[in-house]
Amino acid sequence: MNITPCSIKTLKGLYDISGVEVGQHFYWQIGGFQIHAQVLITSWVVITILLGSVIIAVRNPQTIPTDGQNFFEYVLEFIRDLSKTQIGEEYGPWVPFIGTMFLFIFVSNWSGALLPWKIIELPHGELAAPTNDINTTVALALLTSAAYFYAGLSKKGLSYFEKYIKPTPILLPINILEDFTKPLSLSFRLFGNILADELVVVVLVSLVPLVVPIPVMFLGLFTSGIQALIFATLAAAYIGESMEGHH
Amino acid sequence: MKNVTHSFVFLAHWPFAGSFGLNTDILATNLINLTVVVGVLIFFGKGVYLLDNRKQRILSTIRNSEELRSGTLEQLEKARIRLQKVELEADEYRMNGYSEIEREKANLINATSISLEQLEKAMNQVRQRVFQQAVQGALGTLNSCLNTELHFRTIRANIGILGAIEWKR
Repeated sequence: MNITPCSIKTLKGLYDISGVEVGQHFYWQIGGFQIHAQVLITSWVVITILLGSVIIAVRNPQTIPTDGQNFFEYVLEFIRDLSKTQIGEEYGPWVPFIGTMFLFIFVSNWSGALLPWKIIELPHGELAAPTNDINTTVALALLTSAAYFYAGLSKKGLSYFEKYIKPTPILLPINILEDFTKPLSLSFRLFGNILADELVVVVLVSLVPLVVPIPVMFLGLFTSGIQALIFATLAAAYIGESMEGHH
Repeated sequence: MKNVTHSFVFLAHWPFAGSFGLNTDILATNLINLTVVVGVLIFFGKGVYLLDNRKQRILSTIRNSEELRSGTLEQLEKARIRLQKVELEADEYRMNGYSEIEREKANLINATSISLEQLEKAMNQVRQRVFQQAVQGALGTLNSCLNTELHFRTIRANIGILGAIEWKR
């Protein structure tokens, strides 16, 4: 009988050290839906960061850009270049969409890697990057699907669907399948990468709390930046693809 | 043993028991590593030349266009000055030209009237001489051709004409 409290203590200690939580969520009940509240909370933080940056960026524009303005203009130029190379000459109306995708994913990923979310304890689950949750990435990917359908239909009308029987009608099933695999691959790629990054860091931190996780954290920063870039580039490429070939 | 199992169950449900709170465990929250990573990012982020290059490019573009602008303004000013000068000269020329023309006109009129007078004088002289020559020629002809009988006949014819005129009245 004497052994039991001791063993509980050891186990609790063990749990504290290797407290890796996967698939645990902090649920809010809204309407008939169960909402992953930790994703909402971190998304709001990311949105606040982005909107705050926007306010700072446009508050006091100068002819010769100050450091902050220079940085935001550089980001804008980067996004425009990206849209231009992927979409082509008519990239203008799509810059906001591509930019939103890129910035939201990028800031989400980096917030997961840089902000000390674990300081805040939730009743259940833990805070992490919004893109750490498959729901966020699926939503972003479906938005991309809707965007490229809209782009193609608004540009070509119903003749947009001709692309399904090109180059030969035999490829029709594959072409239709592509519309499903595109959002699937987009969302799973992003989700998997970010989840893996954060898991590796969490596991390493639980094993060796100091110094050892740092290179992996840098690697995570790099890959999450790349993932944001890939997502935005692919979204732009899909939009450009559905708009091209118009005569 | 039962207790141990129970503790596992307890552990599995442990998060339900909590609520919002702060985790002050520095190691578990990974604070130190995060600080290092953020510090390194800021330290090396400041040294990124992309932004500096961009700023330099903007600056040089602005400077170039400023130079172009000031150069163009200078040229415009020069051209305006020249235009003024040319306009002044044109005014001068116009005034000079008018007075010259007036003078020329007066001279011309004078000269013409003088030559006109001379011409009239010469015409009068010519007319007088021609008249004199005609009278002399007529006198000569009369003197040479008029004998007495012809004289009488002429006188008689003239008297007849005069008489007819008188009779008609």
